[in-house]
Amino acid sequence: MDEKVGKFWDHYVTKKASRLFKGEEVTFAEIAKGLKLFYHLLGGAKGKELHITDKRSIQTSRTLTEKFSGTGKTFFLAWQDEKGIYLPASLAYFPLKTHNEMHYYWLIAMLSNVTVNTQNISSENTRASNLLIEKYVGFREFYMYSHCYLCEHYPELTTIEPSLEASSVDNYPNPLWIYPSLSSSNKLLSSDDEEEVHRQRDEENKTETLKMKKKSEQIDDKKETDGLLLFLPESIMSLMEQVRVDRQENDSFDEDALYNAEDLEEITLGQKDANLSARIKMDLDISANSVEEYPLGKGHFIDEWDYKKELYLKNYVCIKPIVSLHTEPIELPKRLEKMMRTIQSELDLMELDRIKRDNLPYGDEINIDTWIDYKGNQNRSNHLQRFFQTYERKMRDMSTLILADVSLSTEAGITQEIRVIDMIQDALMVFSESLYRLQDRFAIYTFSSIKNTKVNFHIIKNFKEQYSDDIRGRIHAIKPGYYTRMGAGIRESAKILEKQQSANKLLLILSDGKPNDVDRYDGRYGIEDTKKAIEEAKKMGVTPFCITIDIDAKEYLPYLFGRNSYAVIRDAKKLPKVLPEIYMNLTK
Amino acid sequence: MSKTYYLPQSNEVELFKAAAGMNLPVLIKGPTGCGKTRFVEAMGEELGRDVYTVVCHDDLSAADLVGRHLIDENGTYWQDGPLTKAVRNGGICYLDEIIEARKDTTVVLHSLADYRRVLPIDRTGEVITAHPDFMLVVSYNPGYQNVLKGMKPSTKQRFISLTFNYPKSEIETEVIVKESGVDENIAQKLVAIAGEIRQLSDSDIQEAVSTRLLIYAGKLIAHGFDPYQACIHSIVESLSDEEDVLTVLEKLISLHFIKSIHV
Repeated sequence: MDEKVGKFWDHYVTKKASRLFKGEEVTFAEIAKGLKLFYHLLGGAKGKELHITDKRSIQTSRTLTEKFSGTGKTFFLAWQDEKGIYLPASLAYFPLKTHNEMHYYWLIAMLSNVTVNTQNISSENTRASNLLIEKYVGFREFYMYSHCYLCEHYPELTTIEPSLEASSVDNYPNPLWIYPSLSSSNKLLSSDDEEEVHRQRDEENKTETLKMKKKSEQIDDKKETDGLLLFLPESIMSLMEQVRVDRQENDSFDEDALYNAEDLEEITLGQKDANLSARIKMDLDISANSVEEYPLGKGHFIDEWDYKKELYLKNYVCIKPIVSLHTEPIELPKRLEKMMRTIQSELDLMELDRIKRDNLPYGDEINIDTWIDYKGNQNRSNHLQRFFQTYERKMRDMSTLILADVSLSTEAGITQEIRVIDMIQDALMVFSESLYRLQDRFAIYTFSSIKNTKVNFHIIKNFKEQYSDDIRGRIHAIKPGYYTRMGAGIRESAKILEKQQSANKLLLILSDGKPNDVDRYDGRYGIEDTKKAIEEAKKMGVTPFCITIDIDAKEYLPYLFGRNSYAVIRDAKKLPKVLPEIYMNLTK
Repeated sequence: MSKTYYLPQSNEVELFKAAAGMNLPVLIKGPTGCGKTRFVEAMGEELGRDVYTVVCHDDLSAADLVGRHLIDENGTYWQDGPLTKAVRNGGICYLDEIIEARKDTTVVLHSLADYRRVLPIDRTGEVITAHPDFMLVVSYNPGYQNVLKGMKPSTKQRFISLTFNYPKSEIETEVIVKESGVDENIAQKLVAIAGEIRQLSDSDIQEAVSTRLLIYAGKLIAHGFDPYQACIHSIVESLSDEEDVLTVLEKLISLHFIKSIHV
C-alpha cells in the first residue's frame, strides 16, 4: 500500500514538475534519417553519425517541486565530438509538434555552426544563434517564438544572459544551445599498443550501434592480466557500479548489461578485448559439420609486389583453390523474397532497354537507310542486301566476377543477431538471383589468407556452372576465414576474367576493410600490392570496382581504385539491396 | 539578334579563343546545367562561327554525324550530316553528352581532332580537308559511374580540356538576376539554398541542383509565384523522388522562404 501511494505521489509530482508536452513529443527515431540529410545539407562532416544522448547532470537551482520530484537535475543536451553528434531522444518543450520538430533542426543547424568548449558556451551559442537568425527566415521565426516561450515558462533561463560566462554551466541549461562534449576533458585512450588484429577490429566496431552514448569515463584496464580478484572483500562492493560493457566486441553484450547501462548514469568502458575465443578459433578452425572443404590440387604460385624493393616477388604467394563439398542445396530464403520482388521491378525496367541491331539479312523492320545506301552504291552485290533491323533484348556482352572478402572480421556483428558475413551471404544470393534473371554471365569466388603460404580461394560458382540450388547451398556454407591478402585475390580473379570472351569484364570486390595479413602484408605494403594488382587487372581489360562497408574506406579506396570506382555502403544491412542496384547502375 | 548572355567563370573564354585560333579541339566537362551549352553558343557568336549542335544518344550512328544518301524522284543523293557541314563550311561542331554515344561511333572524330584535320567519307570516297574555321567541341558530364560508358582514352587525349563547375556565388547570383529577372535579394537566397544542397554527397542525392533549375525558380518567382512554392516545384521536386530527401529539402526551403499558409 505504501508503495502504491508512493508511486502515485511520485507520478503526480513528476508530472507537475515537468513542463513538457508529452502529447506533442517528437522522437529522434521518427526523423533521424531526415536529420542526417539535413546535417549534410548544412555542410556537416559526412563521417559523423547521429546518436541519442543520455541525460547529463548539471547543477542547477531547481524549483521547489522539481526538488521534490527529483527531476530537473539531469538534462538531455545536444553535443558533439569527433565521432558523432548527440541529440536528445525526444523533444517536447513546446506545445506544438511542428515547433518540437523544428527544435531538432535548430539543434542540427547549431551543431554545424559552433565549436563549444567549457569556456565559451554562451558566447559561441549566441554567435551561432545570431548567425542562423540572420541567414534563415524560418529559423528567425522559430527562435523568436521559442525564446519568448522558454523565457516565459522557464524563468530560470532568464538568469543566463550572455554576460555570464564561466558560471553559466551551473545554470539551467538552455535547450536551444549546444554543450561541450563530455569526453573533451578525458581524451580517448590510445590503443596503439594493441595488436594489429585488434586495431582492425576496432575500426569495424565504429559501425556499432550502441544507442545510448554514456558518460564514458575510460579506465585503463589493459594491464589486468587475468580474472582473479586480488583485493579485499569489502572493496568488491564498489564493483557494483562498474558494469563492463564490452565495446570491443559488440555482438556479445547481453540484455542485462544493456539494461543496467540504461539505468546507470555512468558506465566505465573497458578497453580490454574479451574476444579471446575468436583468436583461438582462428588457429584451430575445426570444421564441425559435414561440409567438406575439398582442395583442388596442391595450389599454384603467383607473384606479389614489394614496394620497398620495387620488384615482383616471383611465385611468392600460394593460391589454394577450394570447393565445398556436400553442401545442402537450398532455395532462395523466404526473407529475401520480398526484396527480390522489388529488385525484379527494377530489373524489368532494364529489360525494356532494348538495342537496335542493324544490317541484318532478315528482321522485324526494313531499315530505309541501308536500302538507300544499297541503291546509291555502284557495287550492288548481294552481300550488301542487309536491309533489315530488329529490336532485341539487350544481350549485355558482360562477364562479372564477384570476389568476396570473407576474412575473420566479417564475423563481427552489425546488430546482436546479424553478422557481416550473414549480410554478405544474403547479398550474394540476391545478387546472383538478379544476374541470373538478367542472363548476365557471372562467377562468385571468396578468399581469405594466412600469410603468403595459404591464400584460400573458394569457388562458389565459376563461369561455366549453372546457377542453381547447389550454388545457393555453397553461398550458405560460406564462413569467415582468416585475413585479407587482397592483392592475391585480385590477381587470381583477374586471371580468370581474362579468359572470358566478353567485351566487358567487371571485377566486383566486396570488402569490409583494408588489405591485411599476419605477416608484413599490412599498412603500406598491403595497399601498394593491392594497387599494383588493380593496375595489372586494368591492363588486362578488366574493370575493377570495389564495394565496401568500411566507413573509413574513403581514406584509401580512391588511391587504390580511382575516384569513380568504388562505393561505400554505410549501413551493412543494406548490402543485399544495394549490391544489385550498384551493378545495374554500372552496366546500364 | 540579341547577344547570348554568358558571364565567364574564370579563364575559359581566353582559352577557348586561343584554341579556336590554333585549331585545337576542346572538351568541356561539367555537371548538368552549369552552362556548358550556353558557353559554346556564346563563343560561337563571339567568334562569328555557326554552331552545329548534335546531342548524342546511344543509337547515334556515324552516318548521323557524317551524312547519308537520301532518295528523291531523280534517284539517290548525298546529304551532309552536321559534322560534314561544319567541316566543309567552317563553324563549330558541338557534340553534347558525347559519352552517351557508343565508343565506336566517336572514332570518326579521330582524324579531325588531330593535326590531320581531315574527314574521310567512305560512302562517297571523299576526303574533306577541314575549313580553317572548323572547330570541334565535345562535352560530357563526368558524374556518372558507369563501366560501359566513358570515352576511349584515345579519343579523350585529342582534346584540350576545360572543367566547368557551378559558378561562384556572386557570379551565379548575377546570372540568375539577369536570366530570370528576380531581384538580387531573392537571387542571393536561391544561391544560398543551392550552396547547401551542393554539400550533399552522391549517396544522399544523385546530382546537386543546377544553375538552370535556380533560374527556373527565379523565373517563377519573377512571374509572381510564391517563392516557397516556386522552389518546391522547380528545385525540390526535380532533384529527388525519395520521401526522406524531399522532406528535408522542403524543410530547407521553408527556412529560407516562409511558407504561406493560404495555399
